[in-house]
Amino acid sequence: MALDVTNVVVEALPRFEGYVYPNESGTHPLWGFLIVLYPYITGLVAGAFIMASLVRVFRVKPLEPVYRLSLLTALAFMLCATLPLLFHLGHPERSFQIMITPHLTSPMAIFGFVYAWYLMAVLLLELWFDYREDFVVWSQKTSGIPGIIYRAFTLGVTDISEKAIALDLKLGWIISIVGIPSAFLLHGYVGFIFGSIKANPWWGNVLMPIIFILSAMVSGIALCVFNYMFLTWVRRRKLDMRCLDVMGMYLFYALVIDFTVEALDWIHRVYSAEEGFHVIEYMAKEKLFYTLSIGQVLVGTLIPLVLLGSLQIIRKYVSDAARKRIYFTCASCILVGVFAMRWNVVMGGQFFSKSLRGVMSYKLEFAGAEGWLMGLVLLSLPFIILTVMIKLFLSERLPTTGHVPHRVDDAVSEI
Amino acid sequence: MKNTFSRRGLLTTLGAAAAGVLSFAAARKAKAAIKTVFVRTNAPKDYNPYDHKWLMCFDVDKCIGCGLCVDACKKENHVPEGPTYFRNWIERYIIKKPKPGSDAARGEVIVDSPNGGRDGFPPTTIPREEILKSFFVPKLCNLCEHSPCTQVCPVGATFDSPDGAVLVDPNYCIGCGFCIQACPYGCRFLNPETKTAEKCTLCYHRITRGLKPACVEICPTEARIFGDLKHPVENDPIQNFIQKNKVNSLKPHLGTDPRVLYANLDKEVR
Amino acid sequence: MPPQVFRLILLTVAIVGSYVIARQLLTPPSFRQYGFYRGEALAEHASHTPVFAGRKACLECHEDIQKKLFKDAHKTIGCETCHGPSSAHCADPDSAAKKPDKKNTTACLRCHEANPSRPVTQKQINVKNHYSSQKCAECHMPHQPNEVP
Repeated sequence: MALDVTNVVVEALPRFEGYVYPNESGTHPLWGFLIVLYPYITGLVAGAFIMASLVRVFRVKPLEPVYRLSLLTALAFMLCATLPLLFHLGHPERSFQIMITPHLTSPMAIFGFVYAWYLMAVLLLELWFDYREDFVVWSQKTSGIPGIIYRAFTLGVTDISEKAIALDLKLGWIISIVGIPSAFLLHGYVGFIFGSIKANPWWGNVLMPIIFILSAMVSGIALCVFNYMFLTWVRRRKLDMRCLDVMGMYLFYALVIDFTVEALDWIHRVYSAEEGFHVIEYMAKEKLFYTLSIGQVLVGTLIPLVLLGSLQIIRKYVSDAARKRIYFTCASCILVGVFAMRWNVVMGGQFFSKSLRGVMSYKLEFAGAEGWLMGLVLLSLPFIILTVMIKLFLSERLPTTGHVPHRVDDAVSEI
Repeated sequence: MKNTFSRRGLLTTLGAAAAGVLSFAAARKAKAAIKTVFVRTNAPKDYNPYDHKWLMCFDVDKCIGCGLCVDACKKENHVPEGPTYFRNWIERYIIKKPKPGSDAARGEVIVDSPNGGRDGFPPTTIPREEILKSFFVPKLCNLCEHSPCTQVCPVGATFDSPDGAVLVDPNYCIGCGFCIQACPYGCRFLNPETKTAEKCTLCYHRITRGLKPACVEICPTEARIFGDLKHPVENDPIQNFIQKNKVNSLKPHLGTDPRVLYANLDKEVR
Repeated sequence: MPPQVFRLILLTVAIVGSYVIARQLLTPPSFRQYGFYRGEALAEHASHTPVFAGRKACLECHEDIQKKLFKDAHKTIGCETCHGPSSAHCADPDSAAKKPDKKNTTACLRCHEANPSRPVTQKQINVKNHYSSQKCAECHMPHQPNEVP
């Protein structure tokens, strides 16, 4: 079974054709499934955050029902973003050195700081300002472990006077504004990790950070659509169709921009046809056919593009039930497609020799430290965390005191 | 009122603690400066890394592909056995004649490196009359002046030492593999036992003792020339080599500026 | 100052402070001594023991053989190229040095077997039609290849 799955993308022996440097001819890729997961998860974080910013900064009112859900999604995935990296290290116990002696010319060293900044100065802070009032109220109402948790999260500040809440809103708004460039930084820098490697013509590309940011936005919005629909289905609630339509619209816009830039990248590669182009061409046609042409382009881009695009024109004539199905299909397709894109970038860059004379074949294990199983566990972890968070912070039993975005306009106009 | 007072107290304590730690760290730094690095047990005491600049050159026309250098390197540096771990290796290039009727100057290029060339090269299956030209190219770390591998190391575990060797600190490497991806020449690998990146050290333990690197010591045809730019000896082989030959380096378009120089290099070598 | 802002500032100071403290404590002492790395790593690399002793070490005892060698075509070849790593023999001269097996031809053929990739200046033989029944050392002296035994 495992073999059948892996063989869809990686055929069996021989391990390489043509000439590859002896050090490159090992049986396993240096960066395996875990490193595919890492940009995928970080991308979902950045995308989900930008989704939330649409409400807070750009004041897209119809999206209010998913504001907190998308922020919590971002946080849940953020907490897991470092795990794939950590597990793939040869010496995970030395990972703290990245923070202690960060080599400032290395894109990877900046990760610790970008991550810490984004997690603590942006995500947690925005959530805290948003939730502070609720925490205070909930902690008074709730007992038991949840009550203790809410009380701890108030950080001992119990002031919920009108003035204090207004300040919370104002500060939260400022943090969202800071958060947008931070989200771009977080994921753009992940793209830079690959884009800065000039030794590898598949990776070394100035457009790489931009492509990563755009595909991150696409995947993040798709994840929010997915989570929102799934959550309402689980809770047997009615979907807010206006909200869903607007999410679909933004998903379509993001997808158009993403598609344009990725197409530009390919046009440039084909037209300039620099040294090593023959390898890239071979890879796209043979090695990565299923993940690139089918997964990334057809499933991840063209199908959602056509479906969402046509919905923008004929939305009025399509029934709610049909639209729900289309949105759900598109979101799932995009989530698969963006994963395929990460796969193509990370694995594609290792499928050919840097001598540009040969290509390798790898087989990913099912078990093992970098195998499928580990990857699936790591990918389901954020969903588990998210479930716990939803139980705690989006509980239906705890009514939220005045919803933030309703009052954000007043708060902003005061500034 | 009482509340603010205790906060202030807390802040003062914090500040004092920070100051204490800082002065403690300064003392540690001073201690480290006094302790010069080469007083370790086995290391040669009189070696000053600032006083040397090592250079490696190859004369491609002299390499006979015996593979003794690869074997010597594996023995000298205890490089893991196995056909995917090499600090140096030899490539065989076979350039075929152009197909009849084709107006290309040269035909297909076939490259191989069985077991890194360690056991020598078996006779090729390509018939002799189809071969236009064939030669061996020894490869090792290119000692880049602007080394992409040290640039990307997140913790400073790989570095350009002042004498020109590019080294990995196996006790500090976290094993992320970024440097291996960044090396354009495929000179690095992840040691399966230590789980850290590994590469040619120019036989650092030998050159600091005044010996030549093992591959240079063992090369029977003087295809490898090694020397110190800061201490030219009489009739210095390195200086002679550079004067006599038009030298080239690998992948010059990447701007890595390798200090491993090749004479008589063919354009097909990458 | 609003209480929530003050609480956050305190938290920030605590986090940044503990980072600074951790950084001071965990940075290796010899870091930045030569550059952005552990200076001791240089000494650690230098402290490995050589396996190959080098030609100079052989010269100390075997000057006679080297004199012969220098006169002839094999003068560029180091002793350990054929004799193998000898630092153990150097440290303790009584320990047996490896002698290449004269009955075995592989050591010679490693360099002299005909191969179209070798430079034409290299002397090469086609094993099948070059006295295939005899051993190399019967006609060629390894230290003086141009002389006849």
